[in-house]
Amino acid sequence: MKFSFFHLMPYTHLELESHDWPFPNRYFDPWKASALYKTYVESMIHAESCGFDWVGCNEHHFSPYGMMANCNLIGGALAYPTKRVKIAMIGNLVPLNNPIRIAEEYAMLDCMSGGRLVAGLMRGIPHEYLAYNIPPGESWERQREAVQLILKAWTEPEPFGWEGKHFQYRQVSIWPKPMQKPHPPLVISASNADSAKFAAEMGATMGMVLLADLPSGRDCIRIYKETARVNGWEPTAENVLVGMHTCIAETDEEARRWMAHGLKYFDQVLMGGLQASQRIVLQKTRYFENDESRDRWKSRLDKRRTLTLDEAIERGTVLCGSPETVVEQIKRIHGELGHGVFNFTVKVGTLPDEVIRRGMELFRDRVHPHVRGL
Amino acid sequence: MQARKVPLSTGELTYFVAGEGRPLLYLHPAGGVRWTRVLEGLAKSFALHVPVMPGFDGTSAHGAVKSMQGLAKLMGEFIDKVIGDTSDVMGCSFGGCVALWLAAERPDRVDHLVLECPAVFRSKGPRPADAEALKKLLFLHPEKLPPESKPAEQEVANRRMPPHYRAPDDPDSELLAKTASIDKLTLILHGTADRMIPKESVQLLKSRLPRSYLVYVWDAAHAIEVDQPERMLSLVEGFLQRSEGFMVNWGTLAVNPG
Repeated sequence: MKFSFFHLMPYTHLELESHDWPFPNRYFDPWKASALYKTYVESMIHAESCGFDWVGCNEHHFSPYGMMANCNLIGGALAYPTKRVKIAMIGNLVPLNNPIRIAEEYAMLDCMSGGRLVAGLMRGIPHEYLAYNIPPGESWERQREAVQLILKAWTEPEPFGWEGKHFQYRQVSIWPKPMQKPHPPLVISASNADSAKFAAEMGATMGMVLLADLPSGRDCIRIYKETARVNGWEPTAENVLVGMHTCIAETDEEARRWMAHGLKYFDQVLMGGLQASQRIVLQKTRYFENDESRDRWKSRLDKRRTLTLDEAIERGTVLCGSPETVVEQIKRIHGELGHGVFNFTVKVGTLPDEVIRRGMELFRDRVHPHVRGL
Repeated sequence: MQARKVPLSTGELTYFVAGEGRPLLYLHPAGGVRWTRVLEGLAKSFALHVPVMPGFDGTSAHGAVKSMQGLAKLMGEFIDKVIGDTSDVMGCSFGGCVALWLAAERPDRVDHLVLECPAVFRSKGPRPADAEALKKLLFLHPEKLPPESKPAEQEVANRRMPPHYRAPDDPDSELLAKTASIDKLTLILHGTADRMIPKESVQLLKSRLPRSYLVYVWDAAHAIEVDQPERMLSLVEGFLQRSEGFMVNWGTLAVNPG
């Protein structure tokens, strides 16, 4: 089993009150943000010495939920101080951006890190489409086209043009090209049937986060594997990434207390504006290809919202407890899902950074030795 | 589109003409002549000449024309006699291969070259026997086929003709050897979902033709003209009218320009 240390890089200096969309940036203090970036990047670098195999981050816009408009900048900051860990950009929001720019920046990161890039090609959650004024109803078309274009930009032996529906380039010849051949490993989010199929068609690792429960995760994995076989390849355990909020402390009671503290800010402040904007996007557009997918997504969010921490732990959708408890939780979830990459979201809301640091050491000393062989 | 006939040294040749302007010779694919929206659009700016290669679409084969090189020479003679000037040349699939031979054999008569999924070498395995399977292979969007498409039996008969002309080796090694000396400005098009001509074929051409551009057309199979007519037309027109300048975005992205 591989372990990924994932950071959302939230802004944590806000009052406990919810806001509408867009979140007014008059509350943003660049000095406080500067200190947060430093702390966050240092903890990601430290993850390498704590036994993690990947360090990861992602892209979000217009919200304190995550301060990474371009996570590749953080990837650049991680490339030289680390030596072994994979730099997991999971990832760039493909339909919102210039795909050629993504291909270029990922190729840079792959070269800078000596071939350690994991390239996430994400569709993004609904509210991001408001931020960049991209029609949510085009999200799937743009995603499918852009992913193919990025692969071409990485692998074509000669300059080429692309005449697409959403993207047109008359001649492309990127410098640099990626170090990994034929291209860096891909991760594509696969938290519903449509995206699980797409990830498999692209030969990508599937990524599932914010699971409502383990059976729904199992369903996505089944669909992913079936589609992969139809497309002529057999996924390994490492082609399945599962991500969860994670808090490891000396005791179960301490871990639960800190997780509850962090989740309060996460749910009330960080998720506030996002939920409002997502409601607008989902009601008014064809972000999902069909009503069933939309309803499933909404139900997943509703389920998560109404779950208590105890219920979430019980359902196996959060990792929280003493090292010994977390070992058991990891074994149980692995037993149910059979995944090969576990992605820990460690900075849950205002969960203090010193608690996270201590949790990383507990992971290194008392968790990792018992689960790395899974 | 008007049908005409012209006597050439090896026999009579049927051809179609449409439009006015700079001459453009269009060499059809193995399925024969199909009047697509791309040809319709090109005829608005060019004097389009579409010869029916001997043996296709119910015409008689010419006894003395037995190779791709022979076909190309015949097309050269057609340009001499009917167009009487240099001409832009566009060839689709099998016609793309003839167009390349023409550029190699008669460089004096060829200006720009457009190769639409040129069949220089083809994917391995047998071709589907029935018309429906072939349709699936050719088109990603068969619903866009022009309504006046020819009967399936005629297409099947047409597809028996290429072996009459093609060298048995694949790729055509003699043609490949000549490509480096073709100095015509060339646009190579390939559908991202083409399963008849592998991308390696167009990549090889791109690497050998010294003044060529390769463009992939998204969401198109082998018959790009049918699957994505608007995009293909704008691309080909831009290339033929602006040469290297087709790489420049000549439009504006502003909402209220000016």
